[in-house]
This record gives sequence, C-alpha cells and structure tokens, in this order.
Amino acid sequence: MNCVELQESLAEIEDGSRADQRAHLKTCAECSALVADLNLIASSAIDLREAEEPSPRVWNSIEIAVRQLEAELNLIASSAIELREAEEPSPRVWNSIEIALRQEGLIRPPRSSRSLLPSLSSRWAWARWMVPAAAVLLIAVGVYVRQHSLAQQLATDLATHPASAAVSDVAIAGLNDDDLLQEVSEQTPAMKAQYADNLRSVNEYIQDAKGNVDANPNDEEARRSLLEAYQEKAMLFELAMDRTQP
Amino acid sequence: MVRPEKATLTDRDPQERQRQGSELNEAEAIERAKQGDAQAFQALYDKHKRRVYSLCLRMTANTAEAEDLTQEAFLQLYRKIATFRGESAFSTWLHRLSVNVVLMHLRKKSLPVVSLEETTQGGEEDTPKKDFGAEDLALAGSIDRLHLQKAVDDLPPGYRTIFVLHDVEGYEHNEIATIVGCSIGNSKSQLHKARMKLRDLLKLNRAEKAGKS
Repeated sequence: MNCVELQESLAEIEDGSRADQRAHLKTCAECSALVADLNLIASSAIDLREAEEPSPRVWNSIEIAVRQLEAELNLIASSAIELREAEEPSPRVWNSIEIALRQEGLIRPPRSSRSLLPSLSSRWAWARWMVPAAAVLLIAVGVYVRQHSLAQQLATDLATHPASAAVSDVAIAGLNDDDLLQEVSEQTPAMKAQYADNLRSVNEYIQDAKGNVDANPNDEEARRSLLEAYQEKAMLFELAMDRTQP
Repeated sequence: MVRPEKATLTDRDPQERQRQGSELNEAEAIERAKQGDAQAFQALYDKHKRRVYSLCLRMTANTAEAEDLTQEAFLQLYRKIATFRGESAFSTWLHRLSVNVVLMHLRKKSLPVVSLEETTQGGEEDTPKKDFGAEDLALAGSIDRLHLQKAVDDLPPGYRTIFVLHDVEGYEHNEIATIVGCSIGNSKSQLHKARMKLRDLLKLNRAEKAGKS
C-alpha cells in the first residue's frame, strides 16, 4: 500500500486500524501524522457541540412568536364555535330520515285527524269539540264568579242562574260521564275503572264545593274551590280524550 | 380543547429561568409544555438552547441565520411537542427536528446538503492534495476550539453538513444517509474529505500564525 492508497482507504477505515493500513503507517511518518491529525480533528469536533450560547433576542423572538401563535389559535378556536350551528340542512335531509325511519317501522305516519281543530268526521268528534268548549266555559264562569264578589248579587245569581248548575248542566249535556266512560272502555278498557274512580272523586269535589258556596256566598275561598273542581273535571275529560285517540 | 391556565411568558432573567427549569423534571416539563404551559416550555428552551443553536451555527456558519433557525426549531417544537411520545430521548427527538429545520433551510437556499462533487464523481478540486514536497506542519496533538470552529465555518456547505452531523453531533453514517438522503458510502467519503479539508485549513491557519510571529 502506498500513500495515495492509504488516503483513499481512510474513507472506509477512518482510524487506520486495518492490517495493510497499519503496515504502511509503520513505515510512513507523513501518513502516520495524517492519521493522527484526522483522529484529532474528529475527537476535537465534539467540543463544538454545545459551544455556543444563543443571544437573548432569540428567546424574545420565540416568545413573541409563541404569543402570536397562541392568539391566532385562540381566534381560530373562538371562531370555530360560531360554525357549530351555522348551517341549516336542506328539508330533503329530514324527508330522507323520516322515510327511512318509517320503512324501519320506527315512526308511525302522521294521523290525519291530528290538526289543531278536531275533525267533525270522526265518531267522537262532538266530544272532542266539547272539551275545549267546556274548558272555556268553566274559565268564563270562574271569571264571572270572581268579578261578581258582592254577596247579595252572587246569592241572587246563584238562586236564579246558579253558575255551578249552569256549568254542571253544560258539562253534563256536552260531556256525559257515561259517554266518556263508554269511550274509555272501548279504547282503553284497562283504564275504565280508574276513570270511573276519578270521575266519582271529582264529582264529589264539585258537590262539596257547591255546598260551600251555597252556604257561604261571600266566601272567596269557597268560590275558588268550586272553580278548581270544575277545572279538574275538564282536565279529566281532556286526558280521557287524548288517551282514547288512536 | 381545554387547556390549564398558562404561566405568563415573562422577561425573566435567563439564569432565574434556568434555576426554575432545573427544578422542573424534564419529563414533567415536557408534559406541561404539551398542555401549553409557557414556563415549562421556557425550561425546555433553557436546557436545550445551546445544543440547538450550536448545531444551527455550525451548519450555517452564519450567526443571524443560526438565530433564525434556532427560533424556527423551537417554534416547531412548540407546535409539535404534543406528538412526542417518548419513543426516543427528548434531546434526540428535538435534535432531529432541529437538523431537519436546518436542512430544509439549506435546501431552500439551494445550497448542496451533500457536496455536488460527490454526485458528479471524479472532481477532486476540493479534495486536499498531499503535497509531499512541502513542509508538513503537524497539528501537534491539539486543536484550538476557535480555530476548529473557524475552519468548520470555512468548509463547503456539503462537507460541513456531513462533518457536523457525524463528528460534532454524533450521528452514524446510516442515520446521516437517511436524514440527508444520500448513500452511506457517500456519507463516509464526504466525511473523510471534510476532515482532510479541515486539516489543510487548520495547517494553513497555523502557518499564517507562524509567519506573522
């Protein structure tokens, strides 16, 4: 091996430890010096690893950039919330959902009689009309009773056209308890006994309240109780109607 | 994402930060920095700034560029620290990230990351020649760090990259080949040439000093 060959071989075996390299290095002072220098350079290089300290302005710049970055990220995050409910889906979307759920039997088709105004064509349509009518009447009577607080006038009114009697008559004429119970027994037979019970209770409540009003026409509390009793009965009818609808 | 309350980024004295940083265990600092804790991030900066900055400076041989690249490396760290899963040492991970930042910069500047000489094969202009007739001033067993630093700065960028990655930073040739995108043989060859060039530069410097005195 000559000097040129040794130099070329040093790219692969850097420290000259191969047998032929060692043989040449024993006889060549210049190549020995070269290998020693190269090894020295390599070993000194590690001193450069952490030799430098960055200027304080590096951190200042990083700090500013981090603040900017944070501000931008916060802005993006806060703006992103505004996107949460920004878009309205096309009505097609709900149509498709509805169709799919109907096909799977998870929802029932809407009832044709489910409009705000009860249909006149159904069997118990008259009863459904009468429920709101009775409720309105009851409220009107309540207002009437409250406004006519003069004892004598109320007593006279009750004697000639008793409000409770009128309400009771109207309610009974429009919404006969037996008719209601019959409807309940047809649609939801299991509930009939409960409704009969409830009707009995509410009727007793009405009778008691009427008795109190008759006995003490000046008693505000008694009149309020009578009004509440009628409201309860109207509510009971409404509940029954809702349950008996398909 | 709900982040814990962050410490304010303040202009605290670096030594004070260093003291607080050393109190903060590195793993803890990493976890807190992942949550956006500025103080923990400062602690990481203080711990690793010299290594990162020195790398940037050695590879670019330019203070301003090195500062910009150090900044960029730590900003990348801030953005990516959540992806650090501890599969390698944090310093290794950060170092690799910094190397990539520098190499990206060199590529943008169209500086050869690997010496062009290697790709054309045969151009030996840059390879130091052994002048057997000239007086051979050996490096005499020691190299002044500042002179070595200066000599490294004077290396052609391609040689400098390989020399810094291998001899300064301690990467193996197979790692350098992956990072830089060259063959292992190419990396070995360039390292050898870089060392030879450095020897010439150091000897030249020594000869100049001897001439002056």
